[in-house]
Amino acid sequence: MSLPAFSLHNKAALVIGASNAIGRALALALAEAGANTAISTMLPSPQEVAAIQSCGNAIQEMGGKVFAQTIDITSETDVDALVQRTVAELGSLDILVNAPDLPFAKPVPEVSLTEWNRVLEVNLTGVYLSCRAAAGPMLHQQKGRIINVVSVLGERGMANGSAYCAAQAGVLNLTRALSQEWARQGITVNAIGAGWTEGMGMIADEALQKQLTRYVPQKRLAQPEDIGDTVVTFASEASGFITGQVLWLEGGVLSRL
Amino acid sequence: MGVMEKLQLDGKIIIMTGAGRGLGRAMALDLAKAGADIVAAARTKEQIDETAELIRATGRRCIAVQVNITDSSSVQALVDTTLAEFGRIDVLVNNAGGVTRGWNKPLEAISDEQWQKGIDTNLTGAVFCCRAVIPQMLQQSGGKIVNITSGLGVRASKYNFMYSAAKAGLINFTRCMAMNYADKNIQTNLILPGIFPHEDPDTMNFWQGGKFIPVGRVGKDEELGYLCVFLASDVSNYMNGEMISTEGGGLAGGHVPTGFAPVVPLPAGTTGGAR
Repeated sequence: MSLPAFSLHNKAALVIGASNAIGRALALALAEAGANTAISTMLPSPQEVAAIQSCGNAIQEMGGKVFAQTIDITSETDVDALVQRTVAELGSLDILVNAPDLPFAKPVPEVSLTEWNRVLEVNLTGVYLSCRAAAGPMLHQQKGRIINVVSVLGERGMANGSAYCAAQAGVLNLTRALSQEWARQGITVNAIGAGWTEGMGMIADEALQKQLTRYVPQKRLAQPEDIGDTVVTFASEASGFITGQVLWLEGGVLSRL
Repeated sequence: MGVMEKLQLDGKIIIMTGAGRGLGRAMALDLAKAGADIVAAARTKEQIDETAELIRATGRRCIAVQVNITDSSSVQALVDTTLAEFGRIDVLVNNAGGVTRGWNKPLEAISDEQWQKGIDTNLTGAVFCCRAVIPQMLQQSGGKIVNITSGLGVRASKYNFMYSAAKAGLINFTRCMAMNYADKNIQTNLILPGIFPHEDPDTMNFWQGGKFIPVGRVGKDEELGYLCVFLASDVSNYMNGEMISTEGGGLAGGHVPTGFAPVVPLPAGTTGGAR
């Protein structure tokens, strides 16, 4: 039996962006560890709606309690309502996982101001809105775990990635700032740093995947489960002294590049 | 395999150096509780014998092996004894190390010998242990190494020259291990513990219970143990060359170990004209 400290039995977890590959793996791992889960889209597209329905079905098949909701993460009203529904249906909000991921790559002179703003709005401001909404119940119970997913592009630059890289780095240091602001209130705020992962929007191109794999010391891309399974340890009672940190799962790539 | 099964260590053989007392013993016990069999290694025989008894009481197997990690032949003997007893090495935890009382002083007062010994204890010893387990890990197609660094490995400190330099060295050594052995399925990572007084009242008093640490308390032994279980388990198979800091938020905000400083919030209401 695994150590009881890792169990998330009866915890209430909300995963925003369970509609992408990493978000789905995170939600499934939390459910497997015993959490009751709320899952949502990042944006209300038909593809995302179908994806969270599929994720919800997978959790139900495992015997987990779950509800799925379509939201636009850039809408204050949507995000606030989602947090309220989570507390109403699951009894509290113990774990918040933010996994939105809007991929975007273009040379800087071709990036319009509208596009720049959109990438920042979904990938960074959305996370801010959701952390702010979660702070209500978490500050009230003086306890909580917030985990934001960032990619290696939050730590290293890449050509054509300006807006996305800036947004990811923003989430990373937002994580550090929130860790300080809520340190005395029992809320830990950490990031899970995802290496090059199969299913990640930014590296959907197969030729690019092959090229990147060559630079990964572990010689393979991450599977979504590599990222997802990590969340259990850092969402659990086992990690109460860890805050403001990024937990990188990247096959050694940051050691090399 | 599901995530909860992956977090179990049943049947894994783990060498813990510095296992005779304090946090090394505490981590070894938590690894055993998660299912691992332990090789408790340290210099003092009575202490590791006691650790071994405590571990056997949890129902796991344990042997106590005396070792001086700064002597490569002694380290080789540790590996040989482990293989004779258990036949494999799944995880090595390089926990041994520490500061020598009386050596906290200005650089100009430090002798060649003191410098060398400080580096040997806190860097070379871990390097010797890594080097000695690699052939076995290559033969069994994989393994995991957990190195223990310190806040002093990433921030400067006063009068802690050897310890700080060695712990910083250990961080980039770990990255080199990842770079060189990742494709052989060997994962090498670091734990950076903050203030873990264990049962030492002097340390507890010095840090005033952790009131200057952002979360407002010091670390509990098991919080280090759980992290060690994570890094020894199959959940962390894609983590390599990385460091996990468990220190209550000091590094993210710049509070410890640079000196005592309370959490300083920026003045609320600073707007710069933004509305």
